[in-house]
Amino acid sequence: MAAEIRLRTLSLCRYYRRGPQEEVRALDGFTIQVNRGEFLGIVGSSGSGKSTLLNLLAGLDSPTSGSVEFDGVPLSSMSRRQLASYRARNVGMVFQSFNLISHYTALQNVETALYFNFTPPKERRRLAAAVLEQLGLADRMTHRPPDLSGGEQQRVSVARAIVKKPEILFADEPTGNLDYENARQIAAILDTLNREGLTIVMVTHNQEMAQQYAHRIIRMHYGHLAGSTLTRPSAGLMP
Amino acid sequence: MKLRTFLTTAGVLIAIAAFVSMLSFGAGNQENITREFNELGLFTTMQVYPKSNANGSDTSPSPKLDRTALERLSAIPGVNLVYPYDAITVKVKLGDTLIASKAQALTAAAARTKLFSNMLKGKAFDGDSSRQAVISEELMKKAGITSPESLIGRSIVVSVGVSTVDSGLAHILTDRGESVIDRLKRIHLDSLRNGSYRRRVIRSEMNDAVRRFLNGFTNAQEIISDSLTVCGIRRAGQMGRIRIEPVIIPVATAARFSSGGLSGNLAEIFAAMSSGNLFSRPEDPGNKTFSQVTIDLDPHVLYKTVRDSVQALGFKTFSFAAQFEEIQKFFFYFDMALGVVGLIALITASLGIVNTMVMSITERKREIGILKSLGAYELEIRTLFLVESGVIGLIGTVAGLIAGWTITRIVSAIAHFYMKREGFPEMELFAFPLWLILTALAVGVGVSVLAGLYPAARAAGVDPVEALRND
Repeated sequence: MAAEIRLRTLSLCRYYRRGPQEEVRALDGFTIQVNRGEFLGIVGSSGSGKSTLLNLLAGLDSPTSGSVEFDGVPLSSMSRRQLASYRARNVGMVFQSFNLISHYTALQNVETALYFNFTPPKERRRLAAAVLEQLGLADRMTHRPPDLSGGEQQRVSVARAIVKKPEILFADEPTGNLDYENARQIAAILDTLNREGLTIVMVTHNQEMAQQYAHRIIRMHYGHLAGSTLTRPSAGLMP
Repeated sequence: MKLRTFLTTAGVLIAIAAFVSMLSFGAGNQENITREFNELGLFTTMQVYPKSNANGSDTSPSPKLDRTALERLSAIPGVNLVYPYDAITVKVKLGDTLIASKAQALTAAAARTKLFSNMLKGKAFDGDSSRQAVISEELMKKAGITSPESLIGRSIVVSVGVSTVDSGLAHILTDRGESVIDRLKRIHLDSLRNGSYRRRVIRSEMNDAVRRFLNGFTNAQEIISDSLTVCGIRRAGQMGRIRIEPVIIPVATAARFSSGGLSGNLAEIFAAMSSGNLFSRPEDPGNKTFSQVTIDLDPHVLYKTVRDSVQALGFKTFSFAAQFEEIQKFFFYFDMALGVVGLIALITASLGIVNTMVMSITERKREIGILKSLGAYELEIRTLFLVESGVIGLIGTVAGLIAGWTITRIVSAIAHFYMKREGFPEMELFAFPLWLILTALAVGVGVSVLAGLYPAARAAGVDPVEALRND
């Protein structure tokens, strides 16, 4: 069975200007594709352009040249409102530093993700509570981020990312700030979500974790694709 | 609430409190004037005067303001009542006090109009010929009476010294006991053939005759007195261009006083001479002319329509409704001036809002980035910040309205204390009409939202990648 392409980049470039002279080429002609249901791991050293790639895939940033296509539609052809809608409906994001709103409770943080896709308030509350319960945070719903452990905060962050049932989940170093046990728990959650059909793109330094859970690992080096490895079989994946 | 937000809200509060206090003062004064105009029926009162050709600019014929004119004025559509200013000089005996004053004759219908109904105590007289009088508060005080209740039902004696042409004529022949024979004896009859002597005698006799006439006319007065019951006491107060005399008596009762002729008042004599009434029979009212006439208007008819009709008859008019329009114009500019002062305070407070919101954006940059990563559109971020500045404005405005109201109550209480102590009539200096509350809310929230426009635009423009960067 042929793999269904969910996301694709074509000669993606992202250059930054640092001062009047220096130009930083964070991504330089980067082409990949992400298939439906795939768990893609992206590894590389600091400054290799992993996070830049994730921001471009999530529609948070615009490329200098090249394109990102989601289900065959270039993000560059979308209006700002359509891009916002793409993030609100199709994309879930998990960050290394959790990025929770500190004065909101865990429940409110998760509910916020449903606000922008116009889910009715009662439904928002019900869905947010259900996801938090699913991730073992039933007794932490009214807690604010500063009152939660790192692992709990990241679980809230994952709950916020998946509550809207996105087409694709982008995880930027999701275990980078966690101890081994919590990192393992988060990786297991992501693995479960992927097994349930969610497409995941995860940037990580943790080679071992990438090897264990990702179907495919790509290596980045200074804005270029340095290599790609198939680690475990997935429907329609080609090495 | 953060201290910074609290202080910003306090700034809006102070500005709105100042804004509403000042406008409330303007509104209070406007309400006082409107109420007074309404209570006195001034909106439906028009004064009519004969045209004066003194300046020579108006060459149109000037009709007399006489009984015929009154009938023509009464026939104008929208005119309820027409009554002249008809006053005589009287002496009023109130208890043991004799006071020189003036009495005004009015029909019972005119006395019941709002203009004359501002009573301290009692009511208008019952009919045109009732033996009653309404006196003013000032006259009561002149008589040393402090309790108006005690005066209602008491009798006063109104007397008029009346001069008649007959008494003047009688004195032409006899004066200071000197008879016609005595005067004839002083004339050298045989010298009358001399023209110069004859002319001198004639001039001397004519001068003497006029002197004796005037002497008899002004000094040999008949005193007409009547005892009237006080039925009402009019409240003190200036009526501007409307002349209301201290004693008001029914028109038929007043006719008795003037039936004998003219009072000894020289002004009345000259007025009668200038109007050609000096030798008229006093009982012939058709010849009487008036210096001013008051028209009571139908409240449902535009005063301008009636004014035009009156002016078309050749008379001058003065309308309080027109004067009120001028007063309203003044208050419009007065309120504008006060409002601008308040608005300046509000604009200063709005800079505080801008500062607070910009600081808030800096602090909440990551939060904005998170919201954008979750799918927030720029308009939603902009709206969020506009709502926040609007809420600061709303809370500040509501609190400012309460503070402004409290300030006006305190100032009003102090003013009332001093008014009472100084014996001034008490009045409410401030008013809080609905339009003022709505204006304050609109201005307070509006200025706050405007102040939030720039910060909101900055918030909407936050780069999510920059905001979510791990450092």
